[in-house]
Amino acid sequence: MNVGSPRQPKVVAVPSAFPIMTSTAVMSIAPVEQKSASTDELTEVDVPWITLVWNDPVNLMSYVTFVFQSYFGYSKSKAERLMMDVHVKGRAVVSTGARERMETDTEALQGYGLWATFQKDD
Amino acid sequence: MARGFKRRHGRYVATLDAVERGLVVGLMEQVLELIEPEQAPSGDGAPGADGADGPYGPGGESGGDEFDQIVAGLGGIGMGVSLSAADQAPELTGSFPRDRDPALERIFPTANREDDQIAAEFRRLTEGGLRDRKSANLTTAIRALSGIEDQKISLEQPQALALLIALTDVRLVLGERLGLQRDDDFDLLEEQVSGLPPDDPAVYALAVYDFLTWLQETLAHALTP
Repeated sequence: MNVGSPRQPKVVAVPSAFPIMTSTAVMSIAPVEQKSASTDELTEVDVPWITLVWNDPVNLMSYVTFVFQSYFGYSKSKAERLMMDVHVKGRAVVSTGARERMETDTEALQGYGLWATFQKDD
Repeated sequence: MARGFKRRHGRYVATLDAVERGLVVGLMEQVLELIEPEQAPSGDGAPGADGADGPYGPGGESGGDEFDQIVAGLGGIGMGVSLSAADQAPELTGSFPRDRDPALERIFPTANREDDQIAAEFRRLTEGGLRDRKSANLTTAIRALSGIEDQKISLEQPQALALLIALTDVRLVLGERLGLQRDDDFDLLEEQVSGLPPDDPAVYALAVYDFLTWLQETLAHALTP
């Protein structure tokens, strides 16, 4: 590490003073029944693929919500609902469509550091 | 005393002293080294001139070195924390080299859990580009926090976004080094180290992780529309 001094007493002292923690960030938002993304618009034949985001202990609830809003353009409430699904159920379908599109979404979400995968919608 | 990010007149402002900025920048540099494209196969030499205080550095004040080793993945913090790839991601399909750094597998996870071939093809097609973009992003974030004389940081939106994502990558690597696999692992680790002195490397690593979590949380809220 390139930090000059071997100790960072201030940093050590700082965190506990801040009343933030990941799991409480958005807890006021009540979990909503799962309703997978974009399902309503699915009329085409070539849409049997899904993008999944899996729960992980590092990513912040606020950050995951931010990514769903800014990448997909989802509303805040939809983004929070999906985020809660990831958090509570362990994973959520965040987009549905043709395989190429799901690969694009997966790559973009991995770029944000989310644990994203894609697969056939069995 | 650090102050987290807030949005002010279209900019993202925070207060971090030199030590705090140096800490964040140093960690981002380490992650950049880890994920940069075209990694030279690591021999026994230190990677670069700016790694003067690298993980192989001489003992002396051991706190910093041991912390470096935790980040570099060279030594766990014990207490049942596993750094092995198998333990990190048991359900992964094996389409990545077994000896690959598990932190890399977390940053570039196997993208299809049902079909090894599809996963391998995806990795072949995307990993180079992802490494490029993440490296560019980390570089932007490092620059944004470097060369500041004041404690005040004031970022434009693109820099703030780069820092937000860079903090994710740093926390993913550090979280992997700490062995965080489940949501309550951080709390469990904190309990386990609660009896140790504050300068213990494990206590320090957790405090740093907590600090980064706090900083990223404030930035995520400031950036959220």
